[in-house]
Amino acid sequence: MALKLNASNFQYPKCASFALPPVATIRSPKFFMASTLRSGSKEVDTVKKPFSPPREVHVQVTHSMPPQKIEIFKAMEDWAENNILVHLKPVEKCWQPQDFLPDPASDGFYDQVKELRERAREIPDDYFVVLVGDMITEEALPTYQTMLNTLDGVRDETGASPTSWAIWTRAWTAEENRHGDLLNKYLYLSGRVDMKQIEKTIQYLIGSGMDPRTENNPYLGFIYTSFQERATFISHGNTARLAREHGDLKLAQICGTIASDEKRHETAYTKIVEKLFEIDPDGTVLAFADMMRKKISMPAHLMYDGHDDNLFDHFSAVAQRLGVYTARDYADILEHLVGRWKVENLTGLSAEGQKAQDYVCGLPPRIRRLEERAQGRARAKEVPRIPFSWIYDREVQL
Amino acid sequence: MASLTASSLSFSSVSCSFKPNQVSNLRKASLSFSGKGFPSHRMPALRFRVACAAKPETVNKVVEIVKKQLALPEDRDVNGESKFATLGADSLDTVEIVMGLEEEFGISVEEESAQSITTVQEAADMIEKLLEKK
Repeated sequence: MALKLNASNFQYPKCASFALPPVATIRSPKFFMASTLRSGSKEVDTVKKPFSPPREVHVQVTHSMPPQKIEIFKAMEDWAENNILVHLKPVEKCWQPQDFLPDPASDGFYDQVKELRERAREIPDDYFVVLVGDMITEEALPTYQTMLNTLDGVRDETGASPTSWAIWTRAWTAEENRHGDLLNKYLYLSGRVDMKQIEKTIQYLIGSGMDPRTENNPYLGFIYTSFQERATFISHGNTARLAREHGDLKLAQICGTIASDEKRHETAYTKIVEKLFEIDPDGTVLAFADMMRKKISMPAHLMYDGHDDNLFDHFSAVAQRLGVYTARDYADILEHLVGRWKVENLTGLSAEGQKAQDYVCGLPPRIRRLEERAQGRARAKEVPRIPFSWIYDREVQL
Repeated sequence: MASLTASSLSFSSVSCSFKPNQVSNLRKASLSFSGKGFPSHRMPALRFRVACAAKPETVNKVVEIVKKQLALPEDRDVNGESKFATLGADSLDTVEIVMGLEEEFGISVEEESAQSITTVQEAADMIEKLLEKK
């Protein structure tokens, strides 16, 4: 196995990320995030730089897939053309952000904006914190396209490569791009949030990037994206539901439309992994267990706004409390994928493969039990209100 | 006739690490005596700085729970010095071990304490400390 260790920092996390979250973020699924480091706490003594966003703390592993497996993906290109690209929507049939926003060319523009702002006034701050966090995540799209193009065997070699994989990646990026644009414009018009702080957060986040620990390995990469697409589908679906409850049907439509894109993407990625299970069940189940052991880290876990060193924890605590995205959802997604890929029924596995199979199949109930325990404790604890710069330092209950 | 009554004894076990073959049963104690028929004079309270071990039964129980959680064979040597990580425990296993200890001993472990436990001995010592507080 060709392993090039590209360790930018040799810090091992002291606290295992399955440790129960600290009081302030007792509700957040923190234990599902990759460990992060602030630049003040290296072994080598450095003065803590001001405005230092978090960095990944794990050793960054590269090219963990044996090179001969690249062939598998070359051989899959025709299959991908016929089975994966079909999940893209032709541009002419696609919605665009303008479809859901006040029309600047119309005489009614000012009224439409006024109505949008009136509806937004009825929506509480905690909802906006979560919507902003989601929007920031979507706006960090350059990181995700980059991540897809780190994967061996499927990367877009030139930026305009004609392979099915490259076509998929570019078109997927193009579809996703509308999500951030739409949410950005909505939030801008709403008047409820501090756009400059949000924009700053986005700049920091894209600058930070992320390492989901997919190691240039498309097995790991597509398992990761399968999980993530389902997570965003659930998350946007919940913000849609909550928007409706707060009386903003247009916002509900916005979130719901984004969610339906995510569902289509989930279908595509899970199909790829399903095919990999067919072709190489042992390798794929090992990859699945590996990703779950490392934990699926959230794409925006390095988010920073220049003020809050625990911004992601705080954001995800609110998302947990509002039921937008919870530790339960994490367990549910895992369980869904185990079923979708029929992991229990895999046969002909190596000894290692069987261990991986057992691990993955047994994991959802363990996570649920952990979550119940954390929630039980959370109820007993005083949960603080903390300010968010995204809403002019107004406070929100975690 | 002098009679010695240990009228107050306070024990507290102190979390510590020790060498495995050291048997130390020193406990932090303050003793006061009062003699009948003698002018009562109190001896100065004696305090011993203590190195103390959790009871062997506690350590054994922890070993049992750890072996079960990690599906280790019965004959595998696990003792106070054993580190969870070396035994193959990942972070999820460690939390579940702590949960198992909570159930077994009827205690509740704070998150901060749970995060600091890395060996069987540390777990046993923490358990006894929590049991005494009850």
